[in-house]
Amino acid sequence: MIGYICKYTPVEIFEAMGEEVVRIEPEVTSFNQADTLMHPNICSFAKGLLETVLDGQYEAIILTTCCDSIRRVYDILKEKLPNTFVYILDTPRITKDAGIRLYEKRIREMISAYEKYSGKKYDEAKLETILRDKVKAPAVKTKKDTLNVGVLGARANANIQAILEKHNVNVAFDLTCTGLDRKILVEPDDILHGYVRGLLTQFPCMRMEAAAGRDELIQRYADSVDGIIFHTIQFCDNYSYEYAWLKDKLNRPMLLLETDNTTQSYGQVLTRIEAFIESLEATGRHTKREEIENRRIQSGGKDMYVLGIDSGSTSTNAVIMDQDRNMKAFEVVRTGAKSGESAQRILKQVIENAGLTREDISWIVSTGYGRVSIPFADENVTEISCHGRGAHYFNNDIRTILDIGGQDSKAIKLDENGEVTDFVMNDKCAAGTGRFLEAIARTLEIGIDEVGPAALTSKEEIEITSMCTVFAESEVISLIANNKEKGDIANGVCHSIANKAYSLMKRVGLQEGYMMTGGVAKNPGVVRAVEEKLGSKLYICPEPEIVGAVGAALYALDKMGA
Amino acid sequence: MSFSGKYIEFVKNKTVAEPEKNWNKILLGFQGNALLNKVRPPKDLAKGYQKLNDLMLSFMAKALGNGSRYIWGNILAPCEIINSMGIRMVSIEALACFLSGYHLEDFFIDYAQSIGLAPTLCSYHKAFVGAVESGVCPVPKYAVTTSLSCDGNLNTFRFLEKQEHVPFTLLDVPYHNDEDAVDYLADQMREMAHQLENHMGVAFSEEKLKETICIENETMDEIAKFYRLAQKHYYPGSLTMQLYMMMGTHLLMGTKEFLDVVKFMNEDIQTYPPFKGKRILWVHVMPFYQETLKKYFDHSEKYQVLASDIVIDYNDKLDEVEDPFKALARKLISNIFNGSYSHKSHVIENLADELKPDAVIHFCHWGCKQVSGGSNILKNDMKQKEIPMLILDGDGIDKRNSHDGQIKTRLEAFLEMIEEES
Repeated sequence: MIGYICKYTPVEIFEAMGEEVVRIEPEVTSFNQADTLMHPNICSFAKGLLETVLDGQYEAIILTTCCDSIRRVYDILKEKLPNTFVYILDTPRITKDAGIRLYEKRIREMISAYEKYSGKKYDEAKLETILRDKVKAPAVKTKKDTLNVGVLGARANANIQAILEKHNVNVAFDLTCTGLDRKILVEPDDILHGYVRGLLTQFPCMRMEAAAGRDELIQRYADSVDGIIFHTIQFCDNYSYEYAWLKDKLNRPMLLLETDNTTQSYGQVLTRIEAFIESLEATGRHTKREEIENRRIQSGGKDMYVLGIDSGSTSTNAVIMDQDRNMKAFEVVRTGAKSGESAQRILKQVIENAGLTREDISWIVSTGYGRVSIPFADENVTEISCHGRGAHYFNNDIRTILDIGGQDSKAIKLDENGEVTDFVMNDKCAAGTGRFLEAIARTLEIGIDEVGPAALTSKEEIEITSMCTVFAESEVISLIANNKEKGDIANGVCHSIANKAYSLMKRVGLQEGYMMTGGVAKNPGVVRAVEEKLGSKLYICPEPEIVGAVGAALYALDKMGA
Repeated sequence: MSFSGKYIEFVKNKTVAEPEKNWNKILLGFQGNALLNKVRPPKDLAKGYQKLNDLMLSFMAKALGNGSRYIWGNILAPCEIINSMGIRMVSIEALACFLSGYHLEDFFIDYAQSIGLAPTLCSYHKAFVGAVESGVCPVPKYAVTTSLSCDGNLNTFRFLEKQEHVPFTLLDVPYHNDEDAVDYLADQMREMAHQLENHMGVAFSEEKLKETICIENETMDEIAKFYRLAQKHYYPGSLTMQLYMMMGTHLLMGTKEFLDVVKFMNEDIQTYPPFKGKRILWVHVMPFYQETLKKYFDHSEKYQVLASDIVIDYNDKLDEVEDPFKALARKLISNIFNGSYSHKSHVIENLADELKPDAVIHFCHWGCKQVSGGSNILKNDMKQKEIPMLILDGDGIDKRNSHDGQIKTRLEAFLEMIEEES
């Protein structure tokens, strides 16, 4: 079995030699080998590829000189797999005749090398037959009566496709590295030359000189769908340029989705895609009036109550609301090791607070990272949509929300109806989140609640430059060793969080009507620092942690038609 | 605070407040600094390095001050062709470093990230794109880039062509080194010269290019001589001087000015006492601002950075009789950043054989995949040659990615180790 990765690989040539050729799709749980053989700061696709290939299931690997990371993967594989046919094909970036001529020559060299290695013979007549058999499918496949989404950017793994399918979203086109159908040219006079021309002039990837042609096609394709998922891979930076260019040009909602090819990142990917789908189908969730009336009649015309529960990494929050959108009770508890158990505990508590029984609750919507692990929820909605709804409930002037929770931070943009129009989340890194504050508080030997008040006493400006939580912690240790005041250090830390938050907010656009939610909104030091950066006041509701749960309760009311 | 410190602070604050309106102040600072260094050269530098310092400061101040006569390039673009036409090339990497003199790199990098560029992208590229997109840095009429040394080049230049309408030539450097590759690249270079004629309104002359190549070969001989002398003499310099040497071999190669400075350095170094400390061969860029590294390597009698692969990233002299475009194509294809990592490793091994350093330090710059990805290969190769090697992680320009505590511990432990070995 021959493995390949790049769409410029002349797969059909190996097929004409009777070989089985498969595209390598790495999905790994760790980068243990890659981090030591290469370096941690390498594209995670390349690292995943190295991990997968080193397992040794391929007899030959065909790479191309597609990018810096892959060039280094080749160097490592060449050394580590001396008995495998590991080949790097020099793929020109220029798609004019000079490039095609050079590529043809390189492919001929590769054929000779493989003939020598395998003892097989390349047969051009066979290649012609194979090429003639490959039928081109239409590239854009939109469907009626469903959401249509296009995928752009760096190679998307099968998870993204699967999540979309599960939610009945049609992928109308996939213009990532590997998504598009190949362009097959058959020139009877010179089969190989025509084939190479087709390969090199297919829809260009970002490494090609002629990638300017991409823009026009993407614009055209984009018009045919409801939204676009722009996929990037951690430490593969090429496509971020295109995102930066397209985000103001396309008049379709676009989700920037970064993945790292590990199985662990599935949950994060899921949240982002689901929130995006929810924002695209904002109108589709209202249930019919009659259905609600039926429910009311069934419950004997009594008051109706719903429950929203937000299962976050640090706290679990619950809110009970009546049919008139009045908050009846709320509760906040610390999430333990098992989010399900905290949920049971809070369910009991909040119902008690409201003076109700479990039977009084008509519908329960869960949200937050643990939303799928709550067994008693009737439905789950992502925390992004819920924060949007919750914020609008508290103050309908809110347009830009900053939510900093225990393990992530996000910026959400709302329109005047409280619908989410855009959002960004931080990556997996804990810098600038509640966890970061906890780590620093521990180092300063003060309680997490004391960090903010301490910051307000600051007299000297200290800058914390490290962006990483671990490094920032050791930076703080050095500052303590230098006898710096705790208040000044705390203030430096608050500013460091504010800087990160500010750049997150800038990515969705700074629009007046700012609100901060999440546990960190209770920290006056961070709030002050963010306000300084924004040059504007933040609206903070009395219990900033329950905004997500309020949103979930509002979704539950939607379901009830109230 | 000194006057220059106050000026830097003033320009920084003004620029952050009104990015579009302060280029003249930035430029004035560069010009003033160049003048100041000419009149009062930094005393802690050897005389030869003072001249190098003066050359680079004046070069940047003059080039940027004459907007119609300079183009953007990346560090490996063939400056010989450009210089032979009387145009100057300012590389985006050097420009990013110079702008960081105003402590503006954070602002630019954050700006680039806020418009969507990846946080994991090379900080030189982010700082440069941020400087242009925030409106601080004006754009020239043309640009040239090569596909080496990293993927960022084509993307950065294409992005700015789309956003700011700066047309550019891409030189696609083939991976393999053979005659077909040389022809492929030489033809692109010829076309580049035509494009420069059209966009810059200056004539190209093959004769002048050949003259430039002759000076280049002479300069290469002088540099080789300098490294031989630097093995023996203590020559007070700084990490910045290594970067200036790199600017010399990449932006001013083939110019009389640079050749004269290297010649002077060769005379001057012989007047300095013998060097008795440890000699370091540095691989890849250096964070010129980094306090611990400065403390150990700037004008130090104990540890001297002998040479760096980024200064001499190809090792053969050019053929003066051949078609100059082919000669330059050969140079670029055989560059250490091209081809397999073993090619680079061989070149560094040869350098080590010649210069006999006591240790190698490999700096993994944030976002530089092609360098970081091979660092462990080099470490193994050096191990076989019994040369100790340290891998340091950090960032050539963004202080926030270079953690001093971490660099300090690693470096000090390494230096203790090599001291003990001897």
